[in-house]
Amino acid sequence: MICIDNLSVNYGGVVALNSLTLNITEDVVGLIGPNGAGKTTMTNAFSGFAPIASGKIVIDDMNLLELPAYKRARWGLARSFQKVQIVNDLRVQDHLLAVIDAKGIDRKKRVWWIDKVLDFVGIADCRDTLGAELNSYRKRMTEIAKCLIGNPKVILLDEPGGGLSESEMQHLRSIISNTKTVFGAQIIMVDHDIDLIRDVCESTAVLDFGKLIAFGPTSEVLQDEAVKVAYLGR
Amino acid sequence: MTRQFALPITVFVFSLLALPLLLSALWVKVVTSAVIFSLAAAGISVLFAQLGLINLAQVALIGLGGWVALRLNYGTAIPFTVIVFMAGTTTALIGAILALPALRMRGLYLALVTLMAAGAFQILFNAFQFPNGGSGFWGVAQQSAAEIRLPLLANSDVAYLRYTIVIVALCFCLVAMHRITAPGRAWAMIRQSEANAMAAGVNVTFYKIWAFVLSGFMAGVAGGLLSGALGQLDARSFLAADGILLFALAVVGGVYSWLGALIAGLLFKLLPAVFNNIGLSADLAMVLFGAALLHAIITAPRGIAGQLLVAFSRKSP
Ligand SMILES: Nc1ncnc2c1ncn2[C@@H]1O[C@H](COP(=O)(O)OP(=O)(O)OP(=O)(O)O)[C@@H](O)[C@H]1O
Ligand SMILES: [Mg+2]
Repeated sequence: MICIDNLSVNYGGVVALNSLTLNITEDVVGLIGPNGAGKTTMTNAFSGFAPIASGKIVIDDMNLLELPAYKRARWGLARSFQKVQIVNDLRVQDHLLAVIDAKGIDRKKRVWWIDKVLDFVGIADCRDTLGAELNSYRKRMTEIAKCLIGNPKVILLDEPGGGLSESEMQHLRSIISNTKTVFGAQIIMVDHDIDLIRDVCESTAVLDFGKLIAFGPTSEVLQDEAVKVAYLGR
Repeated sequence: MTRQFALPITVFVFSLLALPLLLSALWVKVVTSAVIFSLAAAGISVLFAQLGLINLAQVALIGLGGWVALRLNYGTAIPFTVIVFMAGTTTALIGAILALPALRMRGLYLALVTLMAAGAFQILFNAFQFPNGGSGFWGVAQQSAAEIRLPLLANSDVAYLRYTIVIVALCFCLVAMHRITAPGRAWAMIRQSEANAMAAGVNVTFYKIWAFVLSGFMAGVAGGLLSGALGQLDARSFLAADGILLFALAVVGGVYSWLGALIAGLLFKLLPAVFNNIGLSADLAMVLFGAALLHAIITAPRGIAGQLLVAFSRKSP
């Protein structure tokens, strides 16, 4: 269970997150809202990259905000970025090894983990490909594969569907839906694609101007009048 | 895989076996210095290529390593090779202190901080000079320098060149090992973005400091080797301005490979000597360096080594 308690983030005068309180028990939760609503800011607060003004994020009795940013990964937090972070001159395998090194995973299990996550996201053939030579879909998949190493507790995906084709989206859906069963991680997913959110997220939270304006089962939230006004512009 | 090693091994074997025999006494000394400065340039390259950090204090750190080595050489009975190693580790620790500003700043600001550190060292070297066998902690006497101990197997200039080549090659291997193991991967993540690295669990602070430690180690070993090559060191050889020049030449040579560091050392020490020898002003080398730097920045970001390696990989099947 993820408990976000009264979380506020300020960038100078901008209130990017305003006393956000949210309890998440579902396996896959969506986070939507118009541009600048504070979605990325919330993932950054989890990761330790946002200036927290007040509040807590408690997961399994652990206040995440007390850990230094890099230790959160080892504790069990994984994330992808809105802008993919693939290193051009590093092979796919080395991206995964970097995570394996950082999490202190036993040397004997390295190959096993690399095989497992690459098979799961379906890019086992690019193990030795350099980051620069990957297409945007494979870059996304490499990012997700990085997130899965070492059975994290929570995975944050910031717009994983950005720029993917319809068939690629289909593949992404199945990956996200199967993650909990195969790796045991809870997923919080930010995306603008309402179809994707509707298909894979049991519940969805809606942010507007840093405030939570709705949270509940995805189909109900998407019917909510306030949400339609704020987000769907109807 | 094997082709990757063909060039470095060929260069190593040739320079170890044949090169010392082809050089006259004067050039043996010059080439020894050039190889030593290559090692320091390799340290600059690690920081710049792996993390984009500019270190203009590398020549000052060579001086520091040299000071430590001379101090230990006159003051203790520790074997020469161990002294070189100790000069490396001491300088690595000082390098870690240089890393502290690098945790907060980069680019021009960091370059300025390292330049000021180099200036401070220049002043200290001038004030205290290098030990030459005198008494007391600073060990400076108004006399010509006393003999220093050299490695047992390297008591002639030719043997010392070979000794230098072996140590420098070992340090190059150390850098290569870093690149293909955990530190290299961590540096790559940091280079992409610090947030990306931290999100993957990389301890950014540790690996940044580690890069400075490695770079400082190589400067210190270079200083230790230089003390043995010259027998005495002069404060005028470790000017802050030379730190800027060595950095520029590391970029000209190419920061992404051992070959670039080698070229940087040769340009730094060998080219001015060649110009002197054929009756041209050594200052002309500076003009050439300036042009080469422009060339590197504008058309050859991987330096001369990058261009050579491309040519090499085209030729061999
Ligand atoms: N590093 C920063 N410095 C200053 N302001 C920031 C910073 N990051 C975000 N903001 C501000 O915080 C607010 C929320 O931004 P955020 O990036 O979280 O939005 P978002 O919901 O992810 O939007 P998008 O859908 O465009 O990705 C915006 O007003 C933004 O300008
Ligand atoms: Mg965003």
